[in-house]
Amino acid sequence: MMEHPPHSEYSENLVELALGILTGRARAATLAHVDACPPCAQELEQLARTADAVVGLAPECDPPVGFEVRASTRMRLAVDGNPTESSRADSDPADGDRRRGPLLRPPRSTRWPQAAAAAVAALVVGLFVGWAIGSPSGSRRPAQSESPVTMAALEEHGESVGRVVTYGGVTPWMLVTLTDSSVHGELRCQVITDNGTTHAIGTFSATHGYASWDAPLGVAPQDVRRAEVVRSNGSVIATASLR
Amino acid sequence: MGELSVIDGGPTDDALLAGLAVGDQEAAVMFVRRYQRRVFGLAYSMTSDASVAEELAQEALMRVWRHAPVFDHRRGSVASWVLTITRNLTIDSLRMRRATPTDPDDFAAWAMISLEHNPEDAVQREDVRAVVRAGLSTLPVEQRRAVVLAAVYGRTAQEISEQEEIPLGTAKTRIRTGLIRLRGAIEHARVIDEER
Repeated sequence: MMEHPPHSEYSENLVELALGILTGRARAATLAHVDACPPCAQELEQLARTADAVVGLAPECDPPVGFEVRASTRMRLAVDGNPTESSRADSDPADGDRRRGPLLRPPRSTRWPQAAAAAVAALVVGLFVGWAIGSPSGSRRPAQSESPVTMAALEEHGESVGRVVTYGGVTPWMLVTLTDSSVHGELRCQVITDNGTTHAIGTFSATHGYASWDAPLGVAPQDVRRAEVVRSNGSVIATASLR
Repeated sequence: MGELSVIDGGPTDDALLAGLAVGDQEAAVMFVRRYQRRVFGLAYSMTSDASVAEELAQEALMRVWRHAPVFDHRRGSVASWVLTITRNLTIDSLRMRRATPTDPDDFAAWAMISLEHNPEDAVQREDVRAVVRAGLSTLPVEQRRAVVLAAVYGRTAQEISEQEEIPLGTAKTRIRTGLIRLRGAIEHARVIDEER
């Protein structure tokens, strides 16, 4: 059966829908039409593929040193049991507000000091590879004794605002991530060990509540009772209990 | 390390994504290796800020990991899906931070590096990106700029009208004509190739 060509009166809207820039009633009306009109649906698909192809022209570029390790580690930590990141959504994030769904949330900060990247890479590659190869099939939550990683939620007034991760091994490191805090500006991180001693770990900056920062721990991870994020005036913003 | 060294010629994108969906760690490593340059490259070419681009690229890959179980291959390739996630995140970030994005002419110029002078030549090498690149190069500058602003930066016709200081109707025409011509150039190149 010969189908009719796409409806010319929808030509402009189909282009803008394919580009993800059609809004409001025009968008709703065009989507409703496309659902009922195979030729226009096919036209939309072809235009959308063309639009996607333009995005695909972006030049490839080497990311900063350690990117791969950091990305893999984030996935690993999420798999390990962070309840926020390990939850799988049932909607497609590519939909965003462009063609179908709601706006995506703004990205979380994942700033890492470049100078530390290579050292972190060396440490975490070993950790990740060991985990990746050594984990039994189907095991997604290794026992603590099998992993030198300890994680704890950072809490501010009883609310989770991020997390602290400590890595054991030859050179212990810690990672502090703030995701839902209200703080902005320079912050300090310190840990309190079992004997009650406070150890300053370093300073980092948060931007509108978001930060991700790593540093050498300086003490044995198993001795750390809790970690604190502190303002420059000394007031404690958030605490993570590592026991 | 040997098990993690496979990059090119290894599993297909669909297979890797299926691996991500079931929590396969090796698939995650390979996926990151395969896509990190494209994801970071897109974010960087839109923002010209390496640290922001890294934030966005990391978040994009996490979202791919989170949403791998709901990927629908009928709606396009894995690459398009991954890059669309990255693009959407970058657009949101630029708007949220009120940051100035890269000039669309700069993006287009970078995109057209390794420009093929003849789309048919590009098809012969089965390089889809080269075909699109060549097709983009055939557009008049103002149409190319409008297409890039809309397709890459998510600018509406109204926003393009204001930014380019042109009537709304002109902006719509540039967008529509540009995208349709680009599609035509790509299709033409493919038809030529099939006839050979």
